[in-house]
Amino acid sequence: MTGFLRNNRTILLTLVFLLGMIAFTFQGLEPKVGMSILLSGITLAALFFLIASGLSLIFGLMDVLNFAHGVIFVLGAFVGLSTLMNPRLLFNTLPFFLSAAGGVAIARHLGTPLWQRVNTERGRKILWWSLLVLAFALLAFGLRRFPIRTLNAFSITTVGGAVPTALAQEPLGLMIQRVAFLFLAGLPFGLAVAPRELRQENRRAALWKSIAITLGLLVSAFAILLLRDPGEQFILGLSVDWRFLLALTAGTLAGMLAGAGIEIVLIRPFYGNPVTQLVLTLGLMIAGTDLIEAVWGEESHPPMEPPSWFNGACRSDSLIAWFSEHCRSIDVLGRAFPTYRLFIIFVGIAIFIGVGILLKRTRLGMIIRAGVQDSEMVQALGINVRQVFTLVFALGSGLAALGGVIAAPFLGVFSGMGQIFILQAFIAVVIGGMGSYTGAAIGTLILGLARAYGDHFVAAGIDLPFLANTIKGSPAIARASTVLIMAIVLLVRPAGIFGKKE
Amino acid sequence: MNNVLEVHDIQTFIGQYHILEGVSLEVPRGSITVLLGRNGAGKTTTLKSIIGLTPPKTGAVLFNGAEIQGKPTFRITGQGIGYVPEHRAVFRDLTVEENLRIAERKKGDLALRGDFIFNLFPDLKRLIKLPGGHLSGGQQQMLAVARALVPENTLLLIDEPSEGLAPVIIEQMIEAIRQLSAYTTVLLVEQNFIMASQLADRYTIIESGRSVKSGQMADLVKDGDTIRRYLGAT
Repeated sequence: MTGFLRNNRTILLTLVFLLGMIAFTFQGLEPKVGMSILLSGITLAALFFLIASGLSLIFGLMDVLNFAHGVIFVLGAFVGLSTLMNPRLLFNTLPFFLSAAGGVAIARHLGTPLWQRVNTERGRKILWWSLLVLAFALLAFGLRRFPIRTLNAFSITTVGGAVPTALAQEPLGLMIQRVAFLFLAGLPFGLAVAPRELRQENRRAALWKSIAITLGLLVSAFAILLLRDPGEQFILGLSVDWRFLLALTAGTLAGMLAGAGIEIVLIRPFYGNPVTQLVLTLGLMIAGTDLIEAVWGEESHPPMEPPSWFNGACRSDSLIAWFSEHCRSIDVLGRAFPTYRLFIIFVGIAIFIGVGILLKRTRLGMIIRAGVQDSEMVQALGINVRQVFTLVFALGSGLAALGGVIAAPFLGVFSGMGQIFILQAFIAVVIGGMGSYTGAAIGTLILGLARAYGDHFVAAGIDLPFLANTIKGSPAIARASTVLIMAIVLLVRPAGIFGKKE
Repeated sequence: MNNVLEVHDIQTFIGQYHILEGVSLEVPRGSITVLLGRNGAGKTTTLKSIIGLTPPKTGAVLFNGAEIQGKPTFRITGQGIGYVPEHRAVFRDLTVEENLRIAERKKGDLALRGDFIFNLFPDLKRLIKLPGGHLSGGQQQMLAVARALVPENTLLLIDEPSEGLAPVIIEQMIEAIRQLSAYTTVLLVEQNFIMASQLADRYTIIESGRSVKSGQMADLVKDGDTIRRYLGAT
């Protein structure tokens, strides 16, 4: 028991401190007001956590400060919104990704003998760049005049109902040409990223495997293209719950894909060069926002339609009643609280536990925890750390994108929605201690509560014991309070609450 | 093939610094070979160059007769090289068991060699559930060596196992390395000449990034001149 207390001293002290603060703030408040502020704070914390956890893992393992993380959050929200409201974009772009991946899969297998023939460093550099230029040229040629903006146009005036676009579909023949071009573009890219040397395994079996994967990807690409009209009708005919689930999946997958792409193309060539990586992710933050505006437009969209489970026009008395009634809000100590926010809290907690189990119980988690301390040593044990890096980047980005989809019915969807969140998530990670998973959770909890209480007290004013007048502040003070907390924490513990001293 | 490892005239740069200016050495199968030399001579860099953590710019490294230089580190060590870095880099947040399990290359490696390992280091069995960071310096060193024994390795690279340890623990360490060398070949970096002379069959001396002398340890012990000239101690 004493051992347990000693080992978990930091977390226990922090929790006691937090509880004390909450109890203290409750004193001047009606219980129902205090409770609703508390729940709002935890809702915010859950959203912050979905971003901060990935940020913290990526920094801990790879020492990369990923500013592009906020863009992934926005990307998730937009992909989710598109899936929910207008699946046409998905049906028309998914085949591109699949066929390009097919090209990569087969060329990656065939590329190894090519690289073995080119032995000099200079020759390899020239080959790498010419393959890359060829890939992008084919990509640009294939996608020229692809009307992504019009394909994606959807009316936003009728919130709550899916709105098929009035515009005609792109002709099928043209789309098949594009898919073929993207397959060709995948080939040089696959050659470029092919392993540089043969492994001992059975080449023939590996070849058949690559061919099977490529064929599978191509067949599904064409299947999606051919079935796009009935498919679109089918998805639009689904209930909003199914479409929401689909939106969650599509958004998360898009985030993972984008994350893996960013790591492979932009981050991987620059390990050991943190300034370059920092500038690249900063640039990506700006360019990514513009890119999202280019595809989805600059206008902001009202909150996405939540699943029907959280959308009934009524007010449940308790959680049990909500299970049968599916009301929009629930009675908390006499005050209405949106049930969708409870869902956000639930997702946040579920992800916290799920990723925690992944880290604690699986081999991958073991490698991640070891790599956070010393990735060189992990590599020296015969483990391909670079692969784990890509995986963690994809995983962290997937979490951020999931956060984006989850936030969409709560915040609305607009290209700047990531900016507040990325900043707060950074502050939370710094408070909790860079690279610490528990730290990210505690840091986001502190920030979420601080924001919620800050907003309340700014509006309601604070009565201090020895002052006659109530002190009122501007909302800017509530926002600044998080930075103030960070400053105080860093003064006491320079590495953050759970940070390790080097 | 008589030599597990052959290093031919490797040159290594770290940043702009020319650290190794020509190191060659041989490690015969079944032997304990020790790298000697003053602080900063390039002994640790030699080990790191062998497994590609600081890849050599020129020269060749042969492991079981096949060239391995230029390959990624995980491929090199994956062929059967165990690396025990200086400052005993055990993973602080992982338990002793996890520290061992992470080194598994095939499922069941630990189950297969667990008895041998815990025979060598009985302390570790008792501490199995403790985080690596809670162990004493000596225990961490044992764990670092034990970790290199988990997968099937034909060569162990051990960097300064005696550094910062109490004399009693050093005795234990010497005994453990002697026992494990019955199963694998060892390349050792050691400042402690007494420990080195008790353990090693062969030696290579490195001076300012060059290998200057190699031979049988038994001959070196008698050669006071060489010891004074390159190692500065008795």
